[in-house]
Amino acid sequence: MAKYKFHWVLIVIGLVLGLMLSTQFRVQKEQIYAYNIERVRQLAQDVETAREEREALRARIQELRDELDKVAEESRHGNLRRELDNIRMQAGLLSVTGPGVEVVLNDSSTPTQPGQNPNLYVLHDEDLLRVINELRAAGAEALAINGERLVATSEIRCIGPAVVVNKDKRLAPPYTITAIGDPDTLIASLEMRDGVMATLKFWGIQVAVRRVPEAVVPAYTGKTMLDYGRPLFGEGGS
Amino acid sequence: MQTKYLSIAAVTLILGLLIGLQVRLLEVPQPSLSPDARISALSAELNELTKENKGLREEIVDLEEKVSIAQQGVEQAEAALRAEIEKHMVVAGLTKLIGPGVEVTLENVPGGDYIFAIRDEDLLRVVNELRAAEAEAIAINDQRLVASSEIRQAGPFINVNLERISPPYRIQAIGNPDKLRRELERPGGLVDTSRYLGVEVRIEVKEELVLPGYKGRPRLEFVRPLKEGV
Repeated sequence: MAKYKFHWVLIVIGLVLGLMLSTQFRVQKEQIYAYNIERVRQLAQDVETAREEREALRARIQELRDELDKVAEESRHGNLRRELDNIRMQAGLLSVTGPGVEVVLNDSSTPTQPGQNPNLYVLHDEDLLRVINELRAAGAEALAINGERLVATSEIRCIGPAVVVNKDKRLAPPYTITAIGDPDTLIASLEMRDGVMATLKFWGIQVAVRRVPEAVVPAYTGKTMLDYGRPLFGEGGS
Repeated sequence: MQTKYLSIAAVTLILGLLIGLQVRLLEVPQPSLSPDARISALSAELNELTKENKGLREEIVDLEEKVSIAQQGVEQAEAALRAEIEKHMVVAGLTKLIGPGVEVTLENVPGGDYIFAIRDEDLLRVVNELRAAEAEAIAINDQRLVASSEIRQAGPFINVNLERISPPYRIQAIGNPDKLRRELERPGGLVDTSRYLGVEVRIEVKEELVLPGYKGRPRLEFVRPLKEGV
Protein backbone atom coordinates (compact mmCIF):
# COMPACT_ATOMS: atom_id res chain seq x y z
CA MET A 1 0.00 0.00 0.00
CA ALA A 2 2.82 2.37 0.91
CA LYS A 3 4.50 1.59 -2.36
CA TYR A 4 1.36 2.53 -4.34
CA LYS A 5 1.07 5.82 -2.48
CA PHE A 6 4.58 6.61 -3.51
CA HIS A 7 3.60 6.01 -7.14
CA TRP A 8 0.75 8.46 -6.85
CA VAL A 9 2.97 11.10 -5.34
CA LEU A 10 5.38 10.76 -8.26
CA ILE A 11 2.57 11.00 -10.78
CA VAL A 12 1.10 14.10 -9.19
CA ILE A 13 4.46 15.84 -8.90
CA GLY A 14 5.28 14.99 -12.51
CA LEU A 15 1.95 16.34 -13.77
CA VAL A 16 2.18 19.54 -11.77
CA LEU A 17 5.75 20.12 -12.90
CA GLY A 18 4.78 19.55 -16.56
CA LEU A 19 1.84 21.92 -16.32
CA MET A 20 4.01 24.54 -14.67
CA LEU A 21 6.65 24.27 -17.35
CA SER A 22 4.16 24.60 -20.20
CA THR A 23 2.42 27.50 -18.49
CA GLN A 24 5.75 29.20 -18.15
CA PHE A 25 6.43 28.68 -21.85
CA ARG A 26 3.01 30.02 -22.75
CA VAL A 27 3.39 33.13 -20.63
CA GLN A 28 6.71 33.86 -22.22
CA LYS A 29 5.28 33.53 -25.74
CA GLU A 30 2.40 35.77 -24.84
CA GLN A 31 4.80 38.32 -23.49
CA ILE A 32 6.64 38.40 -26.81
CA TYR A 33 3.33 38.70 -28.61
CA ALA A 34 2.10 41.42 -26.27
CA TYR A 35 5.39 43.21 -26.70
CA ASN A 36 4.93 43.17 -30.49
CA ILE A 37 1.37 44.46 -30.19
CA GLU A 38 2.68 47.23 -27.98
CA ARG A 39 5.26 48.09 -30.63
CA VAL A 40 2.60 48.15 -33.36
CA ARG A 41 0.49 50.47 -31.23
CA GLN A 42 3.45 52.73 -30.55
CA LEU A 43 4.44 52.82 -34.23
CA ALA A 44 0.88 53.52 -35.36
CA GLN A 45 0.80 56.40 -32.94
CA ASP A 46 4.13 57.74 -34.24
CA VAL A 47 2.82 57.52 -37.82
CA GLU A 48 -0.29 59.43 -36.79
CA THR A 49 1.81 62.12 -35.09
CA ALA A 50 4.06 62.40 -38.15
CA ARG A 51 0.97 62.79 -40.38
CA GLU A 52 -0.40 65.53 -38.19
CA GLU A 53 2.96 67.25 -38.24
CA ARG A 54 3.00 66.99 -42.04
CA GLU A 55 -0.38 68.72 -42.24
CA ALA A 56 0.83 71.51 -39.96
CA LEU A 57 4.03 71.97 -42.00
CA ARG A 58 2.04 72.07 -45.25
CA ALA A 59 -0.29 74.69 -43.84
CA ARG A 60 2.68 76.77 -42.74
CA ILE A 61 4.26 76.54 -46.22
CA GLN A 62 1.01 77.68 -47.82
CA GLU A 63 0.77 80.55 -45.35
CA LEU A 64 4.33 81.69 -46.16
CA ARG A 65 3.76 81.43 -49.92
CA ASP A 66 0.60 83.51 -49.60
CA GLU A 67 2.52 86.04 -47.57
CA LEU A 68 5.22 86.28 -50.24
CA ASP A 69 2.50 86.74 -52.87
CA LYS A 70 0.96 89.52 -50.82
CA VAL A 71 4.30 91.30 -50.57
CA ALA A 72 4.64 90.92 -54.35
CA GLU A 73 1.28 92.62 -54.89
CA GLU A 74 1.96 95.39 -52.42
CA SER A 75 5.38 96.21 -53.83
CA ARG A 76 3.97 96.41 -57.38
CA HIS A 77 5.64 93.22 -58.51
CA GLY A 78 2.43 91.85 -59.96
CA ASN A 79 4.29 90.68 -63.07
CA LEU A 80 6.72 88.64 -60.96
CA ARG A 81 3.80 87.22 -59.07
CA ARG A 82 2.23 86.01 -62.33
CA GLU A 83 5.56 84.57 -63.47
CA LEU A 84 5.81 82.76 -60.15
CA ASP A 85 2.30 81.35 -60.59
CA ASN A 86 3.17 80.13 -64.09
CA ILE A 87 6.30 78.38 -62.87
CA ARG A 88 4.38 76.92 -59.92
CA MET A 89 1.73 75.55 -62.26
CA GLN A 90 4.42 73.85 -64.34
CA ALA A 91 6.08 72.47 -61.22
CA GLY A 92 2.74 71.24 -59.88
CA LEU A 93 2.94 73.42 -56.77
CA LEU A 94 -0.32 75.25 -57.35
CA SER A 95 -3.87 73.87 -57.22
CA VAL A 96 -5.33 74.33 -60.68
CA THR A 97 -8.64 74.04 -62.46
CA GLY A 98 -9.76 73.81 -66.06
CA PRO A 99 -11.57 71.60 -68.55
CA GLY A 100 -10.50 67.98 -68.70
CA VAL A 101 -11.41 64.36 -68.13
CA GLU A 102 -11.78 61.92 -65.31
CA VAL A 103 -10.79 58.28 -65.81
CA VAL A 104 -12.04 55.76 -63.25
CA LEU A 105 -10.33 52.36 -63.13
CA ASN A 106 -11.10 49.26 -61.12
CA ASP A 107 -10.17 45.60 -61.08
CA SER A 108 -11.89 43.16 -63.40
CA SER A 109 -15.49 42.36 -62.47
CA THR A 110 -15.60 39.03 -64.30
CA PRO A 111 -14.89 36.09 -62.02
CA THR A 112 -11.75 34.16 -62.94
CA GLN A 113 -12.24 30.69 -64.31
CA PRO A 114 -10.32 27.85 -62.68
CA GLY A 115 -6.91 27.55 -64.27
CA GLN A 116 -6.76 31.19 -65.26
CA ASN A 117 -4.15 33.42 -63.72
CA PRO A 118 -6.12 35.91 -61.59
CA ASN A 119 -3.12 38.23 -61.67
CA LEU A 120 -3.90 39.03 -65.31
CA TYR A 121 -7.28 40.45 -64.39
CA VAL A 122 -6.30 42.87 -61.66
CA LEU A 123 -5.18 46.40 -62.18
CA HIS A 124 -1.41 46.85 -62.06
CA ASP A 125 0.73 49.92 -61.51
CA GLU A 126 1.80 49.60 -65.13
CA ASP A 127 -1.79 49.98 -66.33
CA LEU A 128 -2.09 53.23 -64.41
CA LEU A 129 1.29 54.35 -65.76
CA ARG A 130 0.13 53.67 -69.30
CA VAL A 131 -3.12 55.59 -68.92
CA ILE A 132 -1.20 58.52 -67.44
CA ASN A 133 1.44 58.35 -70.16
CA GLU A 134 -1.30 58.38 -72.80
CA LEU A 135 -2.89 61.44 -71.20
CA ARG A 136 0.49 63.19 -71.12
CA ALA A 137 1.02 62.35 -74.79
CA ALA A 138 -2.40 63.90 -75.51
CA GLY A 139 -1.30 67.17 -73.94
CA ALA A 140 -2.53 66.88 -70.36
CA GLU A 141 -1.32 69.93 -68.44
CA ALA A 142 -2.01 68.76 -64.89
CA LEU A 143 -2.63 65.26 -63.56
CA ALA A 144 -3.72 63.72 -60.29
CA ILE A 145 -4.64 60.23 -59.14
CA ASN A 146 -7.10 59.99 -56.25
CA GLY A 147 -6.30 63.62 -55.47
CA GLU A 148 -2.50 63.17 -55.46
CA ARG A 149 -0.80 65.53 -57.92
CA LEU A 150 1.62 63.85 -60.29
CA VAL A 151 4.83 65.81 -60.81
CA ALA A 152 8.15 65.09 -62.54
CA THR A 153 9.36 62.88 -59.70
CA SER A 154 6.09 61.01 -58.99
CA GLU A 155 6.19 57.24 -59.09
CA ILE A 156 3.27 54.80 -59.09
CA ARG A 157 3.88 51.50 -57.36
CA CYS A 158 1.81 48.53 -56.26
CA ILE A 159 2.69 47.51 -52.73
CA GLY A 160 0.52 44.58 -51.77
CA PRO A 161 -3.10 45.51 -52.44
CA ALA A 162 -2.45 49.26 -52.32
CA VAL A 163 -0.99 51.72 -54.79
CA VAL A 164 1.60 54.11 -53.46
CA VAL A 165 2.38 57.43 -55.16
CA ASN A 166 4.64 60.33 -54.19
CA LYS A 167 6.60 58.07 -51.81
CA ASP A 168 4.14 57.84 -48.92
CA LYS A 169 0.59 58.39 -50.20
CA ARG A 170 -1.35 55.14 -50.11
CA LEU A 171 -4.32 54.91 -52.47
CA ALA A 172 -7.11 52.36 -52.58
CA PRO A 173 -9.29 51.37 -55.56
CA PRO A 174 -11.20 52.61 -57.46
CA TYR A 175 -8.50 54.82 -58.96
CA THR A 176 -9.63 58.14 -60.37
CA ILE A 177 -7.22 59.92 -62.67
CA THR A 178 -8.02 63.59 -63.24
CA ALA A 179 -6.42 65.35 -66.20
CA ILE A 180 -6.71 68.96 -67.31
CA GLY A 181 -6.33 69.61 -71.02
CA ASP A 182 -8.32 69.57 -74.24
CA PRO A 183 -11.10 67.07 -73.37
CA ASP A 184 -11.62 65.96 -76.99
CA THR A 185 -7.95 65.17 -77.55
CA LEU A 186 -7.66 63.42 -74.19
CA ILE A 187 -10.70 61.21 -74.78
CA ALA A 188 -9.76 60.47 -78.39
CA SER A 189 -6.29 59.28 -77.43
CA LEU A 190 -7.60 56.97 -74.72
CA GLU A 191 -10.31 55.52 -76.95
CA MET A 192 -8.04 55.04 -79.95
CA ARG A 193 -8.40 51.69 -81.71
CA ASP A 194 -6.09 49.18 -80.03
CA GLY A 195 -5.33 51.95 -77.57
CA VAL A 196 -4.88 51.75 -73.84
CA MET A 197 -8.59 51.46 -73.03
CA ALA A 198 -9.10 48.65 -75.50
CA THR A 199 -6.23 46.72 -73.92
CA LEU A 200 -7.55 47.22 -70.41
CA LYS A 201 -11.06 46.19 -71.43
CA PHE A 202 -9.64 43.02 -73.00
CA TRP A 203 -8.54 41.97 -69.52
CA GLY A 204 -11.94 42.89 -68.14
CA ILE A 205 -10.61 45.84 -66.18
CA GLN A 206 -13.32 48.41 -65.59
CA VAL A 207 -12.53 51.75 -67.22
CA ALA A 208 -14.81 54.73 -67.56
CA VAL A 209 -13.93 58.14 -68.98
CA ARG A 210 -15.98 61.24 -68.59
CA ARG A 211 -15.62 64.85 -69.56
CA VAL A 212 -15.34 67.34 -66.71
CA PRO A 213 -15.90 71.02 -67.53
CA GLU A 214 -14.20 72.26 -64.37
CA ALA A 215 -11.74 69.61 -63.22
CA VAL A 216 -9.70 70.36 -60.13
CA VAL A 217 -6.14 69.13 -59.66
CA PRO A 218 -4.67 69.89 -56.23
CA ALA A 219 -1.10 71.06 -55.62
CA TYR A 220 1.78 68.70 -54.92
CA THR A 221 2.50 68.82 -51.22
CA GLY A 222 5.58 66.64 -50.87
CA LYS A 223 9.12 67.80 -50.38
CA THR A 224 10.72 69.92 -53.07
CA MET A 225 14.16 70.64 -51.63
CA LEU A 226 16.91 68.63 -53.32
CA ASP A 227 19.53 66.61 -51.46
CA TYR A 228 21.73 65.64 -54.42
CA GLY A 229 21.11 67.93 -57.40
CA ARG A 230 22.43 71.49 -57.72
CA PRO A 231 20.86 73.82 -60.27
CA LEU A 232 22.87 75.66 -62.89
CA PHE A 233 21.17 78.85 -64.00
CA GLY A 234 21.79 80.85 -67.10
CA GLU A 235 22.67 78.07 -69.51
CA GLY A 236 20.29 75.40 -70.75
CA GLY A 237 16.64 75.51 -69.78
CA SER A 238 14.19 77.90 -71.33
CA MET B 1 12.68 -0.62 -9.26
CA GLN B 2 14.55 2.70 -9.67
CA THR B 3 14.06 2.74 -13.44
CA LYS B 4 10.34 2.09 -12.96
CA TYR B 5 9.99 5.23 -10.80
CA LEU B 6 12.04 7.21 -13.25
CA SER B 7 9.93 6.17 -16.20
CA ILE B 8 6.71 6.95 -14.34
CA ALA B 9 8.12 10.38 -13.51
CA ALA B 10 9.14 10.98 -17.14
CA VAL B 11 5.81 9.85 -18.56
CA THR B 12 3.78 12.01 -16.20
CA LEU B 13 6.04 14.99 -16.83
CA ILE B 14 5.49 14.68 -20.57
CA LEU B 15 1.78 14.15 -20.01
CA GLY B 16 1.65 17.35 -17.96
CA LEU B 17 3.49 19.27 -20.65
CA LEU B 18 1.16 17.93 -23.33
CA ILE B 19 -1.94 18.84 -21.38
CA GLY B 20 -0.58 22.28 -20.68
CA LEU B 21 0.28 22.93 -24.33
CA GLN B 22 -3.06 21.55 -25.46
CA VAL B 23 -4.87 23.96 -23.18
CA ARG B 24 -2.75 26.80 -24.57
CA LEU B 25 -3.65 25.90 -28.15
CA LEU B 26 -7.34 25.76 -27.32
CA GLU B 27 -7.24 29.05 -25.46
CA VAL B 28 -5.24 31.30 -27.76
CA PRO B 29 -6.37 31.36 -31.38
CA GLN B 30 -3.50 32.10 -33.74
CA PRO B 31 -3.46 35.74 -34.90
CA SER B 32 -4.34 36.18 -38.58
CA LEU B 33 -1.70 38.74 -39.50
CA SER B 34 1.59 38.55 -37.71
CA PRO B 35 2.47 41.75 -35.88
CA ASP B 36 5.87 41.60 -37.58
CA ALA B 37 4.33 42.39 -40.97
CA ARG B 38 2.50 45.36 -39.47
CA ILE B 39 5.66 46.54 -37.80
CA SER B 40 7.60 46.56 -41.05
CA ALA B 41 4.78 48.30 -42.95
CA LEU B 42 4.41 50.95 -40.28
CA SER B 43 8.13 51.58 -39.89
CA ALA B 44 8.45 51.99 -43.65
CA GLU B 45 5.65 54.56 -43.61
CA LEU B 46 7.13 56.36 -40.62
CA ASN B 47 10.48 56.49 -42.36
CA GLU B 48 8.95 58.11 -45.47
CA LEU B 49 6.95 60.58 -43.41
CA THR B 50 10.00 61.59 -41.37
CA LYS B 51 11.92 62.27 -44.59
CA GLU B 52 9.06 64.27 -46.07
CA ASN B 53 8.64 66.34 -42.91
CA LYS B 54 12.34 67.11 -42.86
CA GLY B 55 12.09 68.41 -46.43
CA LEU B 56 9.02 70.49 -45.56
CA ARG B 57 10.81 72.04 -42.57
CA GLU B 58 13.73 73.01 -44.82
CA GLU B 59 11.28 74.67 -47.17
CA ILE B 60 9.72 76.59 -44.27
CA VAL B 61 13.12 77.92 -43.17
CA ASP B 62 13.80 79.01 -46.75
CA LEU B 63 10.41 80.71 -47.12
CA GLU B 64 10.60 82.47 -43.77
CA GLU B 65 13.92 83.96 -44.82
CA LYS B 66 12.49 85.14 -48.14
CA VAL B 67 9.43 86.68 -46.51
CA SER B 68 11.53 88.59 -44.00
CA ILE B 69 13.82 89.86 -46.78
CA ALA B 70 10.87 90.78 -48.98
CA GLN B 71 9.35 92.92 -46.26
CA GLN B 72 12.41 95.18 -46.14
CA GLY B 73 11.65 97.09 -49.31
CA VAL B 74 10.69 97.02 -52.98
CA GLU B 75 14.13 95.93 -54.22
CA GLN B 76 14.47 93.25 -51.59
CA ALA B 77 11.00 92.00 -52.47
CA GLU B 78 12.03 91.66 -56.10
CA ALA B 79 15.16 89.71 -55.15
CA ALA B 80 13.17 87.39 -52.87
CA LEU B 81 10.56 86.77 -55.57
CA ARG B 82 13.20 86.06 -58.21
CA ALA B 83 14.86 83.60 -55.83
CA GLU B 84 11.51 81.87 -55.29
CA ILE B 85 10.90 81.71 -59.04
CA GLU B 86 14.32 80.13 -59.54
CA LYS B 87 13.65 77.60 -56.78
CA HIS B 88 10.41 76.54 -58.44
CA MET B 89 12.05 76.44 -61.88
CA VAL B 90 14.33 73.78 -60.42
CA VAL B 91 11.31 71.80 -59.20
CA ALA B 92 9.64 72.16 -62.59
CA GLY B 93 12.76 70.83 -64.32
CA LEU B 94 13.39 74.00 -66.30
CA THR B 95 17.04 74.41 -65.27
CA LYS B 96 20.20 72.40 -65.74
CA LEU B 97 20.91 70.15 -62.79
CA ILE B 98 24.27 68.77 -61.64
CA GLY B 99 24.67 65.92 -59.21
CA PRO B 100 25.60 62.31 -58.56
CA GLY B 101 23.45 59.48 -59.85
CA VAL B 102 23.27 56.60 -62.29
CA GLU B 103 23.32 56.24 -66.03
CA VAL B 104 21.36 53.35 -67.47
CA THR B 105 21.96 52.36 -71.07
CA LEU B 106 19.46 50.13 -72.85
CA GLU B 107 20.27 48.69 -76.21
CA ASN B 108 18.56 46.26 -78.54
CA VAL B 109 20.49 43.07 -79.14
CA PRO B 110 21.98 43.31 -82.66
CA GLY B 111 20.03 41.23 -85.14
CA GLY B 112 17.37 40.55 -82.51
CA ASP B 113 13.70 40.01 -83.24
CA TYR B 114 11.77 43.26 -83.44
CA ILE B 115 9.20 41.83 -81.02
CA PHE B 116 11.84 42.12 -78.38
CA ALA B 117 12.95 45.60 -79.35
CA ILE B 118 12.84 48.12 -76.53
CA ARG B 119 9.43 49.75 -76.32
CA ASP B 120 8.01 52.82 -74.60
CA GLU B 121 6.73 50.60 -71.79
CA ASP B 122 10.20 49.35 -70.98
CA LEU B 123 11.47 52.91 -70.63
CA LEU B 124 8.41 53.89 -68.61
CA ARG B 125 9.10 51.07 -66.20
CA VAL B 126 12.75 52.03 -65.73
CA VAL B 127 11.79 55.65 -65.17
CA ASN B 128 9.15 54.62 -62.64
CA GLU B 129 11.70 52.52 -60.74
CA LEU B 130 14.15 55.41 -60.66
CA ARG B 131 11.42 57.72 -59.39
CA ALA B 132 10.50 55.18 -56.71
CA ALA B 133 14.16 55.26 -55.64
CA GLU B 134 13.82 59.02 -55.14
CA ALA B 135 15.51 60.25 -58.29
CA GLU B 136 15.46 64.05 -58.19
CA ALA B 137 15.74 64.51 -61.95
CA ILE B 138 15.69 62.19 -64.97
CA ALA B 139 16.59 62.66 -68.63
CA ILE B 140 16.38 60.22 -71.55
CA ASN B 141 18.80 60.93 -74.39
CA ASP B 142 19.08 64.51 -73.14
CA GLN B 143 15.32 65.04 -72.95
CA ARG B 144 14.57 66.16 -69.41
CA LEU B 145 11.46 64.55 -67.96
CA VAL B 146 9.01 67.03 -66.46
CA ALA B 147 5.48 66.60 -65.10
CA SER B 148 3.97 66.66 -68.59
CA SER B 149 6.60 64.51 -70.36
CA GLU B 150 5.38 61.48 -72.25
CA ILE B 151 7.43 58.47 -73.36
CA ARG B 152 5.52 57.16 -76.30
CA GLN B 153 5.86 54.65 -79.04
CA ALA B 154 5.33 56.16 -82.50
CA GLY B 155 5.79 53.36 -84.98
CA PRO B 156 9.34 52.03 -84.64
CA PHE B 157 10.41 55.12 -82.75
CA ILE B 158 9.93 56.49 -79.26
CA ASN B 159 9.00 60.11 -78.63
CA VAL B 160 9.88 61.98 -75.46
CA ASN B 161 8.69 65.58 -75.08
CA LEU B 162 7.43 65.25 -78.68
CA GLU B 163 11.03 64.71 -79.83
CA ARG B 164 12.10 61.48 -81.48
CA ILE B 165 14.81 59.57 -79.65
CA SER B 166 16.59 56.48 -80.93
CA PRO B 167 18.55 53.61 -79.38
CA PRO B 168 20.76 53.19 -77.49
CA TYR B 169 18.58 54.77 -74.83
CA ARG B 170 20.59 56.57 -72.17
CA ILE B 171 18.58 57.25 -69.03
CA GLN B 172 20.33 59.54 -66.55
CA ALA B 173 19.02 60.05 -63.04
CA ILE B 174 20.32 62.31 -60.28
CA GLY B 175 19.84 61.05 -56.75
CA ASN B 176 21.41 58.68 -54.23
CA PRO B 177 23.49 56.46 -56.58
CA ASP B 178 23.43 53.36 -54.36
CA LYS B 179 19.71 53.58 -53.81
CA LEU B 180 19.03 54.05 -57.52
CA ARG B 181 21.24 51.11 -58.47
CA ARG B 182 19.80 48.84 -55.79
CA GLU B 183 16.26 49.50 -57.01
CA LEU B 184 17.16 48.53 -60.57
CA GLU B 185 19.04 45.43 -59.46
CA ARG B 186 16.41 44.09 -57.07
CA PRO B 187 14.65 40.83 -57.99
CA GLY B 188 11.83 41.61 -60.41
CA GLY B 189 13.48 44.92 -61.25
CA LEU B 190 14.85 46.18 -64.55
CA VAL B 191 17.96 44.02 -64.72
CA ASP B 192 15.97 40.93 -63.85
CA THR B 193 13.20 41.40 -66.41
CA SER B 194 15.40 42.67 -69.22
CA ARG B 195 17.49 39.54 -69.06
CA TYR B 196 14.73 37.44 -70.54
CA LEU B 197 13.61 40.17 -72.89
CA GLY B 198 17.00 40.00 -74.56
CA VAL B 199 17.80 43.65 -74.00
CA GLU B 200 21.29 44.78 -73.13
CA VAL B 201 21.38 46.82 -69.95
CA ARG B 202 24.31 48.69 -68.50
CA ILE B 203 24.13 50.54 -65.19
CA GLU B 204 26.90 52.95 -64.31
CA VAL B 205 27.22 54.95 -61.13
CA LYS B 206 28.31 58.52 -61.90
CA GLU B 207 29.80 61.00 -59.49
CA GLU B 208 28.63 63.90 -61.54
CA LEU B 209 25.88 64.00 -64.11
CA VAL B 210 24.68 67.15 -65.86
CA LEU B 211 21.04 67.00 -66.91
CA PRO B 212 19.69 69.60 -69.32
CA GLY B 213 16.63 71.65 -68.47
CA TYR B 214 13.32 71.07 -70.25
CA LYS B 215 13.38 72.97 -73.51
CA GLY B 216 9.82 72.37 -74.68
CA ARG B 217 6.94 74.75 -74.65
CA PRO B 218 5.27 75.18 -71.26
CA ARG B 219 1.78 73.69 -71.23
CA LEU B 220 -0.48 76.34 -69.77
CA GLU B 221 -3.31 76.56 -72.25
CA PHE B 222 -6.13 75.01 -70.25
CA VAL B 223 -5.03 75.26 -66.64
CA ARG B 224 -5.52 78.25 -64.41
CA PRO B 225 -4.92 78.73 -60.70
CA LEU B 226 -7.81 77.44 -58.64
CA LYS B 227 -7.67 80.46 -56.42
CA GLU B 228 -7.65 83.61 -58.56
CA GLY B 229 -5.31 85.88 -56.65
CA VAL B 230 -4.57 88.52 -59.28
